[in-house]
Amino acid sequence: MPDKSLAGEFIKGLWDENPIFRQLLGMCPTLAVTNALLNGLAMGLAVTFVLISSAVLVSLVRKLIPNQVRIASFILIIATFVTISDRFMAAFFPALSKSLGPYVPLIVVNCIILGRAEAFGSKNPIGRSLVDAMGMSLGFLFSLLLLSGVRELLGSGSLFGHRVLGAWFEPWVVMLLPPGAFLSLGILIAAALFVEAKLKKRRVL
Amino acid sequence: MSLPARMMTVLTAVSFLSASLLVGVNILTVDRIAANKQREIEAAITHVVPGTTASSKLYEEKGFAVYNGRDADGRLAGYAIQSSTGGFQDVILLLVGTDPEVSRIRRLVVLDQKETPGLGAKIVQEGAFLRFWEDRDCREPLTLRKPPVAEEELKPTEVNAVTGATISSEAVLAGVNGALTRFRQLRREGKLPAEDRNAR
Amino acid sequence: MNLLLLLVSAILINNFVLHYFLGICPFLGVSKKINASFSMGIAVTFVLTLTAVVSWAINHWLLIPFHLEYLQIVSFILVIASLVQLVEMFVRKTSPPLYQALGIYLPLITVNCSIMGLALLASLKEYGFLETVVFGIGAGSGFTLAIVLLAAVREQLELADIPKPFRGAPIALIVAGIIALAFLGFSGMIKP
Repeated sequence: MPDKSLAGEFIKGLWDENPIFRQLLGMCPTLAVTNALLNGLAMGLAVTFVLISSAVLVSLVRKLIPNQVRIASFILIIATFVTISDRFMAAFFPALSKSLGPYVPLIVVNCIILGRAEAFGSKNPIGRSLVDAMGMSLGFLFSLLLLSGVRELLGSGSLFGHRVLGAWFEPWVVMLLPPGAFLSLGILIAAALFVEAKLKKRRVL
Repeated sequence: MSLPARMMTVLTAVSFLSASLLVGVNILTVDRIAANKQREIEAAITHVVPGTTASSKLYEEKGFAVYNGRDADGRLAGYAIQSSTGGFQDVILLLVGTDPEVSRIRRLVVLDQKETPGLGAKIVQEGAFLRFWEDRDCREPLTLRKPPVAEEELKPTEVNAVTGATISSEAVLAGVNGALTRFRQLRREGKLPAEDRNAR
Repeated sequence: MNLLLLLVSAILINNFVLHYFLGICPFLGVSKKINASFSMGIAVTFVLTLTAVVSWAINHWLLIPFHLEYLQIVSFILVIASLVQLVEMFVRKTSPPLYQALGIYLPLITVNCSIMGLALLASLKEYGFLETVVFGIGAGSGFTLAIVLLAAVREQLELADIPKPFRGAPIALIVAGIIALAFLGFSGMIKP
């Protein structure tokens, strides 16, 4: 694989290897908490904290951990950071913690985090791992905000809790419910693939 | 160091570090989290039993709790009964405030629910549902009035249902009636502390 | 009676995949063939029920008595990882053909959100022992139902002419959305 520049490592997480739209990882929280922009933002920030902290720590200790126990160690490290973010949120943002419910603890099984630690953090120096984690987190946050924006706008006529569509708009309640989540994500991924194909055609020509 | 020994050492070291970090975080956050919970329930009690300045828990069992509310002079202002009931989608948690004689409902608030947004979820709204519960006569079991009528036409033991959310409304009704029945049963059995009976 | 309602609720009304969004990765990844989906469903149900028992035990005999609730996430995930490892070794020793059939699915179950999700939800709802076990069985059965339904539709879709951007995950998600819409009809089945 060609040696990517640090900038390249960062940018790939935003589009080419976007965790949700391209790699299809971390779907569970994506579908569950994107019924409001505030929830999507909070989840994205929590995942950013855990992803960056664990990627850096795993990269720091990667030479010390024997192969056979690496998954167990990674899981322990990730679980620790997830617990920290969960407790922090419960202490300082109780209302948000309540709306996100069990999905913050579920970050520990979010494929993105273990996947990045295994595929990247354990094989690369801190600098690269940090930048990779930052890119992935931002890509994940971006996808969450996009999906939350669509769902909240169509489902409640509001953005971040403030009503933006007038009284003429009858909210599509289904958007706030599970079916709406599935449908929106499916259409967004198709749109992303469509845009990708169009861009590729233009690059070739 | 042999491989098994190295594996053990590494795992122990990671576990130890993880545990220390978590214990530290717990010490920093546990008080705040408890205080948040306390504040939440106190705010709810003050809302359903107007005039409350202090409250204490009298009884608790799974899915049910009784609190008393005392006013600034230390007199009993009323009871707040917390109960849970099965709703349309999932469990509904509610808190009903009564007067000291448990003959009238002061106010009702829904603490937690997962009903359908825009329909069943209207049970948390003052205008659509909760205001009809104010000052209801609860000596007899309450009943639902559907279709809803103007507030003046409701009998003292009647409450308007939410249009399009019959099941959620009925769930709340069952929850309130059940809570009052359980409360009276506990009182008869003497399971509620008598300390507040003298505070009048 | 209460347990039966809990079972029905876990399978139909609050289906683990279509309502709680737990187990989406295998739901999308394995649902191309009905047979594979069914095997995955059985494996998941087995691990879920086992996890239900063990997580309840840890919660009630270790974490709560010693006020260690904040260690819940760490202890649950470690136990689940070990449990899946044990199940894999057990299946490999006792039934090689079964191991062949389930193949790579077993290790994947560790990061299946539904296992951790079950442990967390059962703890959140403060279920008793029997309730937790029934919840586990119901969750697994609901997962199996959902994944087999999706696989049935996807097998038919193989013969359809789907626009390029929609092939694969997008159309699977849209079909899942329609199935979820149908399942919404089960709400309110249990009268208060």
